[in-house]
This record gives sequence, C-alpha cells and structure tokens, in this order.
Amino acid sequence: MSLEFSGSDQYYLNPELEEIVNIAIAMDKPLLLTGEAGTGKTQLAFEIARTLGLKMEIARCKSTFQGEELCYVYDTILRLNDSRFGTEKTERDVDNIWDYLRFGPIGRAFQAPERRVLLLDEIDKTDADTQDNLLDVLEDRSFIIREINHRVETKNPPIIIITSNAKRELSDPFLRRCFCHFIPFPDPDEMKEIIALHYPQIDTKLRDSSLDVFYGLRRKSFEKQPATAELIDWLGALQKRKKKSPTEGNEVLFRGTLLKRTQDLLNEKKTSRSWS
Amino acid sequence: MFSPFFYLLRDIGLPVSFQYVIEFYRAFEKGLITDLKQLFLVTRLICVKKVEHYELFERAFSAYFLGQEDALDVPNEVHEALIDSKPFQEWLAKELEAGNLTEEEIRNLSLPELLEGFWETLLAQNEEHHGGNRWIGTGGTSPWGHSGRAKGGIRVHGASLHRSAIKVIGQHRYMNYSGDSDLRSENIRQALGMMKLMLPTGPCSEINVDKTIEKTCKNGGEIELIFDRQMLDRIKVILLLDNGGYSMTPFVRNVRTLFSKMKDQFKDLEFYYFHNCIYENVYTDPRRSQTYSLEKIAEKDKDTRVFIVGDANMGPSELFSAYGAIDYYSTHKIPGIDCLQLLAETFPYTVWLNPLEKKYWPYQSVTITAIAKIFRMESLTLNGLKNAVEYLNSRS
Repeated sequence: MSLEFSGSDQYYLNPELEEIVNIAIAMDKPLLLTGEAGTGKTQLAFEIARTLGLKMEIARCKSTFQGEELCYVYDTILRLNDSRFGTEKTERDVDNIWDYLRFGPIGRAFQAPERRVLLLDEIDKTDADTQDNLLDVLEDRSFIIREINHRVETKNPPIIIITSNAKRELSDPFLRRCFCHFIPFPDPDEMKEIIALHYPQIDTKLRDSSLDVFYGLRRKSFEKQPATAELIDWLGALQKRKKKSPTEGNEVLFRGTLLKRTQDLLNEKKTSRSWS
Repeated sequence: MFSPFFYLLRDIGLPVSFQYVIEFYRAFEKGLITDLKQLFLVTRLICVKKVEHYELFERAFSAYFLGQEDALDVPNEVHEALIDSKPFQEWLAKELEAGNLTEEEIRNLSLPELLEGFWETLLAQNEEHHGGNRWIGTGGTSPWGHSGRAKGGIRVHGASLHRSAIKVIGQHRYMNYSGDSDLRSENIRQALGMMKLMLPTGPCSEINVDKTIEKTCKNGGEIELIFDRQMLDRIKVILLLDNGGYSMTPFVRNVRTLFSKMKDQFKDLEFYYFHNCIYENVYTDPRRSQTYSLEKIAEKDKDTRVFIVGDANMGPSELFSAYGAIDYYSTHKIPGIDCLQLLAETFPYTVWLNPLEKKYWPYQSVTITAIAKIFRMESLTLNGLKNAVEYLNSRS
C-alpha cells in the first residue's frame, strides 16, 4: 500500500469514497463508479492521478467501440497504401508490422514503464460484446495482437477507474470483475463543501437559500434533474449578477442554467406559480 | 468466522460466488480490514455489484455482524454458532480475565453490544498482524479498557470509525434502487437499454478491409476501396396497455411516461390501449375511441418487441367466450384468448408485464394462469423488466 489517495483542495472527497479508492488500489481491482451525471465520477480519476502524481490514459467510450481499438489498431489501409505507393519519405517499413500498429489507451497504459491511471469513461455507451472483450484484457492485464499473435503484458498494472452513467445495464461478468461503487447524490452538507471549493467567498445566506431552492427542484421530477454542475453554474450566474436571493417573486432566477430541457422549463413555470 | 455471512448473503438472494470469498480473505490477509467500517466497505465492494442490492446487503450486514435482528430475520443458529465459535469464546474469556467485563455485565449486554465489541477487537488484531498498534499491544490498552466506564454501558475506545459505518447502514440511502421497487426513470433506462437490434443501415460509409484487400489483389495491386453500411440499432417496440378500470390507471401512466423517456433510444415506439383483454381491435388513444384493428398490428415487423402491460385479471368469460368483451357495445366475436394466441404467434418477441405482485398470480384469477401460458409473464418491477429484456434478448 505505497499509494495512499486522499482528497485535495480542488476536489471534495467523501471519506467513504476515499476508503473505497484505497481499497481498490490495494486489491488491484478495477473500480467501477456509477451514479447520476454530475457526481464527479470522471473527476475522481483525474484527482487520483493528480494526487498520486501518476500519468493518465483516458478512453472515452463510444457506442461503436469493439474493445480492441482501446488496446491497439492495426492500420491496414496505410500499409496497403504504402505497399502500393512506397514509403520513401516516411520512416515506415512495409515489411515491419510494428510500424502500422497504433496503441490505444489500454495498450499505452500497459506498456508504460511506470504505473499509470487508466480511465475508461462512460463504459455503458459500449455494447455488451465490447465489455466482454475488455474483460479478459482487464483481468489478465494483457492482450494479444492478433495479427502477429504477440502478447502485450504489463509489469505495472495501471489503476483502472471505470465510469458509467447507467444508460445501459452492464453485463454480469463485467461487474463481477470490478469493484463497484454507486456514488449517491451529495446531501446538502456535502454540497456546501463542494460549493466552498468553487466559491470560497460566497455569501452564506445566498448559498443556503439557493440550496433550498435547488433541492426543492430536485424533489420534483424532471426529465433531466439538475445536478452539481448545474448548481455551480447557477451560483456563478447569481453571484456575477450580484443577486442577494435565488428567486424574485415566484420566479427562480436564471433557471435556464439549472433546467436544460424545454419541457422541464415549462413544467417548472407551471408549478412555480402555485408556489409560496 | 466470516463464511456464514457469505452463506447468509446467498440465502437472501445476493449472488455471491466463491471468487468473492477468496477475494475477501485476500483483503483480510493484506490487512485492509481493521475495523467494522472497513469490514463493511470491503465486503460490500467485493460482494455487491449492483446498486439495487445495496439495501439488502446493508440489512444482512447489520443483522449478522451487529446482531440487529430487526434488520433481517437471521436464523438463531447463525448467531449461536458464532457465539459458540472458538474465537468468540476466547475473546470472551480474555475480556473476563482482564476484568473488562464481569459475568454479570455479559448477561446484561445485548447481542448487538457483545458482537460489536467482539468484531472490533478481532479486526483490530488483524491490523496488529500488519504492524499496526492502535489498540492491542500498547501496554494492555484493550479497546474496552476505557477508564471510568459506567456499569452496564459499554463505551468503545475511539468510538468514531465504526460508528459512522453503523450510521451509514441505518440510513437506507439505497432504498429507491432495490430491485422490487417501482419503476422509475433512472432505473428503467438501464433495463431497457439492453434491448437492441443491429442491422446494416444508411449510406455505405464503413470501410471493409477484407474485401478491400481481396479486390485490390484481384486488381493486380491497384487499390480499390470497398465500403459497407454501418450496423445501427433498429429496434421497434410496441406497447399494448390495459387502461380499462381504475385498478390499472396508476400503472399505465407510469409505464407510458417511462417508455416515452426511452424515445431517444427507441426511435420506433408505438402505444395502443385495450380494456382487460385484447380482441379484434385495440385503440390508439387512451380514451379508447379510435380503433385500430389487430390485423394491422399483426402486419407489422415480426422482429418488433411487444410489451403487453395489464393485470390479466378478468372474468373468465372475458377471456374464453365469444362476444366476451366487458364493454357493452362491443361486438367482437372471437374470444380474447384466440386474439392473444394470434399475437403470440405473430410476434415471437412478446412479454406480458403484470403490475400485480407475482405471488398472487396463481390465486387471483384463472385468466392470469391461462395468459401466462401464452406469453412470458413478468412482474412490473425493475427485476421483472430486466428478466423480460433478458428473455427477449435470449430469443434473438
């Protein structure tokens, strides 16, 4: 347990989460973080890298990913092109396949001489098949370059952080191989700590009344619930405009920063009239 | 010491594999588990993979380790076995010997209090093995050796850490996510997101390397690029909702809004309504004034995923008789059961979702059993929906 992670002045870290990260590091298991958007899942990976002083490899997942491209890509077209038109001006050698292999984030993290943090962001965007493909790679900490049947192994297994917005259910075998943690939405007290990191000078009256309005809004159900990021934007707007209160009459000020969907805005308008 | 806990988890329906148990002991060996809070976090990380299981796990944990019986019905033998076990008896003997506890005190202590003290000592020893020196081996300062302790009340030295774990456990923060809870937008998205049907669609924009190489070779080395269509999700969904009668009203509205939220994913999504059972017509509006013939539905794509939502609870004649429809003016001749049969034969991917609790299905009405023979029937809960999606996926 040479690496001990703790929060920093730029990121509020829930003590429970801190323990969990350290357990995952000590146990050498990928940590899968789920939870609402805006609960700081991705941010956490960056914080781990920053506080531990490690380099990061980031894979932002897309629905079209097959999994293998995160390890490596074999550029057949380029090689085909080179074999047809020659490689005179380039350093490449058509006979050497290594000149046509490009490593993805996993490939780079595995081959790095030092330990790195590997972030697989929004894994739920990928197919169940892709996740299954990634399984063996993550567990064995190695992958095979199929074209030449070469196994890439790692001496410094990276710290793997995976995030998911729960757009889709992840497959059971995938879950089995990770430590899974669901980050609950911060409660008002934790939220105050988070706000303090962003706006140390904020007027406490404004902060408290804004939080009341914010958590009030969250209790109604909207299509897109306002989350931490929206709250921070909103508080920023209120302060820039030198507002003393988050509401004017029955109206929530700058509600456009909190609610992003047209339908939500209309609903809010409807209900806010019957407020107070 | 710990293995009964894993069996307990299995008994209450948490899928714990052998691998998890091995992992747990690995964590224990590494000295990661030094107090109850750590024990809670580590076991949860290892054993619980889904947020809907958190609540159940927390209850099992407080029942087993903290002896809080109201949390979960743990069979008496489990705790008795624990108390009879060697480590527990040894601990008790040591406490008596050191004078931390008197026999009378032990008799007055509740099971939770006893267990708490026991685990704290045991786990702290785990740390001791790994060079820690927090409680034990520092001149006889046992965790219970808090001076000036009032009789009968036990104060644990440094009562901070595990307390917070216990506090956390009591909060039931994950209640909303448990599998039997009502469907809500945050969890339905996960369940339905698994449904997909990949088909080649759109312009030819993806390069096909194999064909390109083949063609290029045939061309004598002159490169010719071959493009294919992209594989895209083209799933179609039809929802048939029973909105007759007040019993179904709350569910129908829920299901409708929930599926509507999936619009970004299901671009092809249609709603139809019926009353109690499906006959020759269904309706396109919730008031059931615009009819839409079942024949037209049957002409739709056979790959369409059909969800029928209803309690399937009706008078037997409504299902089995000709002219059986409950609506007075209806003149449908074909019995409902034949119409359902037609649907089942036309659409192999059909599931019936029932808002009634599953345990009541066999008793409520013969119609439920009859319909469950035609369609796969699942309850209208998160778990039911997941099973439904799994079933649909397994068929394709």
